[in-house]
Amino acid sequence: MAREQRIKVTVNGQGHDKVVPVRLSLADFIREHLHLTGTHLGCEHGVCGACTVSMNGRSVRACLTLAVQADGAEIVTIEGLRQADGTRHPLQQAFHENFALQCGYCTPGMLITALELLRDNPNPSEQEVREALSGNLCRCTGYQAIVDAVMDAARRMQPAAT
Amino acid sequence: MRRLWARGKAARAAVRVARRGVQFGAGGKIEVATPVKPAWFDYYAPRSVDEALRILDDAGRDGRVLAGGQSLMPMLNLRVVSPAALVDINRIEALDRLHVGSDGLIVGALVRHADILRNAALREGWPLLAEATSLVAHPAIRNRGTVCGSLAHNDPAAEHPSVLVTLDGTVVVAGRGGRREVPAETFFTGMLSTALEPGEMVVEVRYPRPPAGTGTAFVEFARRLGDFAIAGAAAMLTVRDGVCERARLTIVGMGEGPFRARAAELALTGRRLARNGHEDAFAEAVAKVVEAVNPSNDVHASAAYRRHLAGVMARRALDAALARAGGV
Amino acid sequence: MSDTRFVNLRAVGSPVLPDEAIPLVEGEGRFLNDIRLPGMYHVAFLRSQHAHARLRSVDVRRARELPGVVKVLTGKDLLGQVEPFRSMPNRFSGGESVQHWLAVDKVRFCGEAICAVVAEDRATAEDALELFEVDYEPLAAVTDPRLGERDDAPLIHDSCPNNYLIKREYARGDVDDAFRNAHLVVKRDFRIGRKQALCLESRGCVAAYRESTFVLTLWISHQLPYVVRHYLAKHLHLPENEVRVIAPHTGGGFGQKASVYPEEFVCAYLALGLRRPVKWVEDRLENMVASTHARDQYIEVSVAVDRDGRILGLSSDVWVDVGAYSTYLWSAGMEPLQTAGLMPGPYRVPAMRYRTRGVATNKTPVGPYRAVGRPSASASLELLLDEVARRLDLDPVELRRRNLIPNEAMPYRNANNLMHDNVNYVPCLNLSLAKAGYERLRAEQRAAAASGKLRGIGVVCFAELTGLGTSTAVGPGTLLQPGRDAVTLRLETSGVLTIAAALPSQGQRIMTAMRQVASDELGIKLSDIVGLTNDTATAPYGFGTFASRTAVFGSGAVIQAAKELRRRMLALGAHFLQVPADELTIVDSIIQTLDRSKRLPIREMAEKSYFSAKDIPPELNPGFEVTAFYDPKFGSFAAGAHVAVVDVDPQTGGVSILRYVATEDVGTVINPAVVEGQIIGGIAQGIGEVLMEELVYDDTGQPRTVTLADYIVPSALEIPRIELHHANTPSAALGGFKGCGEGSIIGAVGAVACAIADALSRRGGDIRAFPATPERVLRGLGVLPAEV
Repeated sequence: MAREQRIKVTVNGQGHDKVVPVRLSLADFIREHLHLTGTHLGCEHGVCGACTVSMNGRSVRACLTLAVQADGAEIVTIEGLRQADGTRHPLQQAFHENFALQCGYCTPGMLITALELLRDNPNPSEQEVREALSGNLCRCTGYQAIVDAVMDAARRMQPAAT
Repeated sequence: MRRLWARGKAARAAVRVARRGVQFGAGGKIEVATPVKPAWFDYYAPRSVDEALRILDDAGRDGRVLAGGQSLMPMLNLRVVSPAALVDINRIEALDRLHVGSDGLIVGALVRHADILRNAALREGWPLLAEATSLVAHPAIRNRGTVCGSLAHNDPAAEHPSVLVTLDGTVVVAGRGGRREVPAETFFTGMLSTALEPGEMVVEVRYPRPPAGTGTAFVEFARRLGDFAIAGAAAMLTVRDGVCERARLTIVGMGEGPFRARAAELALTGRRLARNGHEDAFAEAVAKVVEAVNPSNDVHASAAYRRHLAGVMARRALDAALARAGGV
Repeated sequence: MSDTRFVNLRAVGSPVLPDEAIPLVEGEGRFLNDIRLPGMYHVAFLRSQHAHARLRSVDVRRARELPGVVKVLTGKDLLGQVEPFRSMPNRFSGGESVQHWLAVDKVRFCGEAICAVVAEDRATAEDALELFEVDYEPLAAVTDPRLGERDDAPLIHDSCPNNYLIKREYARGDVDDAFRNAHLVVKRDFRIGRKQALCLESRGCVAAYRESTFVLTLWISHQLPYVVRHYLAKHLHLPENEVRVIAPHTGGGFGQKASVYPEEFVCAYLALGLRRPVKWVEDRLENMVASTHARDQYIEVSVAVDRDGRILGLSSDVWVDVGAYSTYLWSAGMEPLQTAGLMPGPYRVPAMRYRTRGVATNKTPVGPYRAVGRPSASASLELLLDEVARRLDLDPVELRRRNLIPNEAMPYRNANNLMHDNVNYVPCLNLSLAKAGYERLRAEQRAAAASGKLRGIGVVCFAELTGLGTSTAVGPGTLLQPGRDAVTLRLETSGVLTIAAALPSQGQRIMTAMRQVASDELGIKLSDIVGLTNDTATAPYGFGTFASRTAVFGSGAVIQAAKELRRRMLALGAHFLQVPADELTIVDSIIQTLDRSKRLPIREMAEKSYFSAKDIPPELNPGFEVTAFYDPKFGSFAAGAHVAVVDVDPQTGGVSILRYVATEDVGTVINPAVVEGQIIGGIAQGIGEVLMEELVYDDTGQPRTVTLADYIVPSALEIPRIELHHANTPSAALGGFKGCGEGSIIGAVGAVACAIADALSRRGGDIRAFPATPERVLRGLGVLPAEV
């Protein structure tokens, strides 16, 4: 049986056609084969959330997904949050302006998880934000600035009030 | 250095290793500083159940089904298990089926926890299932993890096995020889063990519709939201004219899989629960639970604490279920 | 000459957005594992599965033969090639101990590295790990320091009798007299569990030899690049200038990345031999056993008070389970010496005595971690004081008021020989109580009790010695008295000011702080100031980032260097503008007269200085690169008072924090948003420490908490919204700065511990062992029988 397989994946809007080892994780594929190192590995057993990416519109742990499982999928990583005009996503801007990152290692996972939250729930309460982020561990910030940033981003992302 | 291949009688060995505590998340003994990249395996992505069964049959005890992967991938990464054949069923469209009907609920093998939570009719008809599912881990895990996968894995601290028992569900198992329906009662056979034979897989699970006048509740106590429960309880009370017609109570986290508190159920059946009649009945039920469960010590909790918590969770679940029964 | 310092006074004190965060928020960070070099190999370590064993033999043949494996290295291979780690000298050492980079005859903790495998990729290296055959002869393990110090205990190091790696007795003042004449003596025994920093990014390195330079280069996720360089050169017998160390973006440090470990040194050795880059990334499971642990103490403490509750004397007996080796660089003295020595905190203690021991056990070595011994020490004393208050029927806050060192008494030398000055203990307490509404909290507590709820309130005060200079060994008992952290300011020809310093951030925004200070000192726009990365090839000598010192050291050095740079700029500006230097100022990167009639942009001056040097009198053009250091000599006390309100569920033992109010004195604040992040981050780690983080070992030395499913750290749901206030007073150091990275964790551990004990005391319960897991809380309530 072949130890490698060919996959076609779209990552941040760009198509890739690669041959990968079957045991390679999606996280390692993104990082090592596509050189998109913004997605981080913190535990490789699904708990810390640093590796969270968006797969077909849903947040997933890239360390618990095999690259071969992403064949035909659309992946979005932190590098893909940049807007079409080249500016940062409102979430990224809000994180920056609210000092919601210190060492920055958990940040990619936080952003992807927050992105999904705000899509499902554009106006979350603080408790809802904390609950949605409870699967993303941070050791530096104590979460307060991150929560503030997500609430701030939610405001920025609402259609302008009349 | 011991190898942890699931091969030959190693399926049992894998369970024994699990019994020594490799059960992921129970603070047992995983070897120190194991790898985080999986060992090699042959990867299959069949497009039909028949194809999957053929591969599984050939692989025997060396084969593992990959559905959501949220339990299996950590075990693979840490080399707790090292199957020779990994059968990824995510391409089998027929398994991605969720049927919410007046006749019952059918959850196919590819239905994710998140799908359960997103279905309004399901939440309304099977609130116990929805409530329990909302406590499973975190959004990213729920987006991939499957209900059937959780049932097939049968972690004693998991939510779904106890819900299935409480709701009297049925697991549909497929093998080369055909399909068979296994009632919840006989599906869970011990810690991390089910009635699945090598070469078999779960294709769907069925839940009957709870009768009218039923209130349900799922409560658990975990260190953090989304963690494996230290103890939990699923309760279902069917009440008519203030009398408990039917009671179901299953305890989570007691070590061997879902614990059906039969003595407690018997103590509740036929009892008058209206106008604080429930106080005595519930106290008796709780005492029977505490007496009957047999948890063991692990790094998260002692047996004594678990036993105590089982009673607390049972009571809280019964109280909430009664409040929702509406037949009082 | 007019004092034109701080003429801008805009940058320091304002929440300047950190440019250094931009790559991180865009996913363009370069952490250790993001570094990739052509031809790079990957390293994995075979680690001991036994806590204590003789290594009879290691058969590497099958591992070596696996396709894709390049090399296998054993401890024996390294003998005579490199210097093992000999324990750092410490005045209170119990004996010298030796740590081989790869175990040779004996393994002393589960997870100790035995062999290194080099392969083409990490997964293959891990495949190879399964092919080793190790013949262990298990030995009896030591897992309890109180048993380990007995004469009949197995010896972990033959050269350390009774397994003492550290031992100290201290007394000042007449303690016996204090206890004899006391109105009340309260004694308690506490058990503080073992934890670890759990940085989101674990350790790692890339070692390369002759990769674009002709030296050994080590990229390492670390807090102290120059220290690593020093010891690497020493142990590999290389001249120091042929070793280059670079700290890339680092995902957390907290002290765990301030020790010197064998693995990175093995990688450096491999790179030299293989002439190919090698990378090692510590995966999380390795990290649980291979990186230093913290705390793990048994504390017996008694306090003697007079009838007003004033402390007359303090006596403590401390055992710290310091693990198998004396951590390299810091020695095993960190937790034992600090826990006992710093226990008085901000309280007046006229007489004190302690006996403290760092006992070796067959567990992972204990190293420095955020606030080291202070959280345990402070929590112990605070819990004791609450008990005193109960016995004297005094409000615990009143008891603290009577004992805190008031500002009027400063400078005040405490019984542990520390001098308290320029610090606001009482104002912090007052502000916290006012903001928390203390009286109302107590009323709500009474009301809650009436409805069957178990509510508790904890009020604690802490002192935190920061920014220590050469007056004190920063690792107690050691010879480590750093104080020469230099900063180089250089004006580029474009007019940009670069700041170079070997003071890496792991999120503290040190470079942003230094830019802010430089901007104010020099009148240069923030946008014209950039920082250079933490590379020993480009940064001047510096010890590094630890012990809450960089605000003081780095900013102080910037101030010193800026003084000279400014003098030179004004002197040359005076020449070009034909105006006396003392009539000039610098505003927004322009040298100008006070009435702004004559102006010279710095950019123009710099370009002229470099490219038209022949037109300038040499004495006016010495170049615009200045290196300076700042040694404050003495440390500066920071302070805080934290109030925590908890509800304890008497059925499950679960604890929820309802409210958390913190007031801190962190001196002159450079960037308030950064400071706030540090304080709240410290509180979060403290909440984790007191409620849930615990590394558990069984009595054979096997770790039982080996994944993140077992080792519980707080998520966003476990940390409440922190109400943060300030009662700052400047330090005596340059700029009035103080450090602020560690203090808040002290407050959090104490405040929540006291709050839980307060809740339990309402029902005659108590808690002495931490973390206060739900089970321990129930045992403390008497709902479950007490632990044997």
